[in-house]
Amino acid sequence: METLIANLAHGFSVALSFENLLFALIGCLIGTAIGVLPGIGPVATISLLLPITFGQPPVTAIIMLAGIYYGAQYGGSTTAILLNLPGEVSAVVTTLEGYKMARNGRAGAALAIAAIGSFFAGSVATVLVAASGPLLTSVALSFGPADYFSLMLLGLIISAVLAQGSVLKSIGMVVLGVALGLVGTDVQTGQQRFTFGIPELSDGIGFVAVAMGMFGIAEIILNLEKPEARSVLSTKVGSLWLTRQEWVRATPSVLRGTVVGSVLGILPGGGAALASFGSYMMERRLSKNRHLFGQGAIEGVAGPESANNAASQTSFIPLLTLGIPSNAVMALMVGALIIQGIQPGPRMVEAQPDLFWGLIASMWIGNLMLLIINLPMIGMWVKLLQVPYKYLFPSILIFCAIGSYSINNNVFDVYMTVLFAVFGYMCAKLRMEPAPLLIGFVLGPMMEEHLRRAMLLSRGDPMVFVERPISATLLAIGAVALLAMALPNLRKGKEAALAG
Amino acid sequence: MKLNAKDIASGVFLVAVAAAGLWLNQEHALGTARRMGPGYMPMLVFWVLMALGGIVLLIGLFNGPDPLEKWTPLDAKSLAAAVAVGLAAYLVAPWLGPLFAQNYADVGLGMLAGFLVLCWAAGWRMLGYVCAALCVFSLLLEKGGLMLAIIGTVVVSAIADPDHRARPLGIVGVTVFLLGLCWWIFIRQLDIRVPVWPWSL
Repeated sequence: METLIANLAHGFSVALSFENLLFALIGCLIGTAIGVLPGIGPVATISLLLPITFGQPPVTAIIMLAGIYYGAQYGGSTTAILLNLPGEVSAVVTTLEGYKMARNGRAGAALAIAAIGSFFAGSVATVLVAASGPLLTSVALSFGPADYFSLMLLGLIISAVLAQGSVLKSIGMVVLGVALGLVGTDVQTGQQRFTFGIPELSDGIGFVAVAMGMFGIAEIILNLEKPEARSVLSTKVGSLWLTRQEWVRATPSVLRGTVVGSVLGILPGGGAALASFGSYMMERRLSKNRHLFGQGAIEGVAGPESANNAASQTSFIPLLTLGIPSNAVMALMVGALIIQGIQPGPRMVEAQPDLFWGLIASMWIGNLMLLIINLPMIGMWVKLLQVPYKYLFPSILIFCAIGSYSINNNVFDVYMTVLFAVFGYMCAKLRMEPAPLLIGFVLGPMMEEHLRRAMLLSRGDPMVFVERPISATLLAIGAVALLAMALPNLRKGKEAALAG
Repeated sequence: MKLNAKDIASGVFLVAVAAAGLWLNQEHALGTARRMGPGYMPMLVFWVLMALGGIVLLIGLFNGPDPLEKWTPLDAKSLAAAVAVGLAAYLVAPWLGPLFAQNYADVGLGMLAGFLVLCWAAGWRMLGYVCAALCVFSLLLEKGGLMLAIIGTVVVSAIADPDHRARPLGIVGVTVFLLGLCWWIFIRQLDIRVPVWPWSL
């Protein structure tokens, strides 16, 4: 306990430096902006800002990128409540009750509880990250290569099982991602694999090109194909305060949402979107006022909005303690860390105390900033919403272009981005999920390392994966998860949960 | 029949990638399970991919119907034309003189030509213009400078939106705004290594 406090104090001293505060604020502002704007999400934004962070110290870079992710959860609710459009995927369910509340003249209350619930959930989740970090790390240090391989395999399986759409196709995308990760120089022999003699590919396919193409550019193309559905704002925001009765109704939902979100955030493949769906389902079942759902029940805003923010914080736990990304945003964080020369893994807490504790402290500070950014300054974001997409998308395109060029100062990366945009567009048309591919792409090279090391240690005996208890347990969980999805009842439950 | 065209296409795609990967992997030493060579992991991955693709394909024969979006004859024609023109432009590019004597200009020119031809069909138009805009950016950047590249990209991407063609004034404003913003962020603040003006080369 005392060391925890000492560590947190150290974290605050890092996070409160002028530079880190500034970049936390920038991250939160950008996050809120892209959260408010439909059609651009945190994955695209983080991948296009990655090149900019190269020159910064690692702590500052990660603090800013994290701010974008959880900032987007705050911003997403504004659009959902005021326009009945999700600014982010995680705000889809907020449109159900939030927009009804706005129609009833309680837009201010809905915005307020979304922000306050998010802040509460974010604070709790931050403490959870701080407490579980060192604990999980000490467990992870006893992991051998075989255990790591199984852990990553489990992560990939669960991320595919929990992804939207067909599980089989998602697993296919995971494996395709692993295959893409094979391109480049083989670490142990130095041989070039699948590079076609192109020198730029010897370091592997740039993952910014993959992420930006599949999430950023492909998204723009798909948005342009849909006619613009955004209507001019007619609802007034009204008072930003809640009535006594609303407080009473919302409080238990915030608490439940925090718990659900924290748990679902840790799961591989989980993260903010799943958490808000899960919480909405739970509220509809457990709330005392479930008969009011569909008419603007505050519980349906308070729960999911708390949950998605809690999840966006706790999804850092597997990354910071085990080095395993649980969703596409975390996969980008792995990339950001590796570019900075830090290998994510259980040694990070010890070796990079500034990074670990500084990030945790900054999360809490960032949540506080977001509360202020989102409540008193709501008018500014409403104005931003009035910028039509036809002016917005050329700007996003330019930023993507400059961003992908400046990774290596080479136009090759821009052409790669274009290729992956076409690929992402094709995947969307065929209903193949891009998120599992990105996770497989990031984890693939690490899995190969661990597989080779494990097999070398076991003298080529594959039984090592079932003989080691940790590895066997992890594989068993993965097998159960896969089998569970084969059961029709559970699959329907998942579809219902993800469809809201 | 309950054909799920989306799943069948996905399955075919996965199997094709796996087959290509296994074929390319022949040049890598497999090694043994104990000492894996560079070809061992690819072999595992592509066989798994092949199996998964096969299962997706098989199940796709029954779990439909989920048809693909309708292709018009023009869609198919313009895709074929785009590939042909793109390849031709790629092969011709090296003879086009010093303007294109830069990294991957042949690739860029080929892609640009292909994407522009793709815009012939309405169904491909958004894809074509957005990707063409990015190719314009990379073709102009190193020989024409950042400012010219931004103007080219915005103009090409703006064609994608019919509103801009009717009232082009708004997009002029966006271009000017972006020129200023990008100069301030990328040149002034971040100082990325890139030529800015056509005459500063």
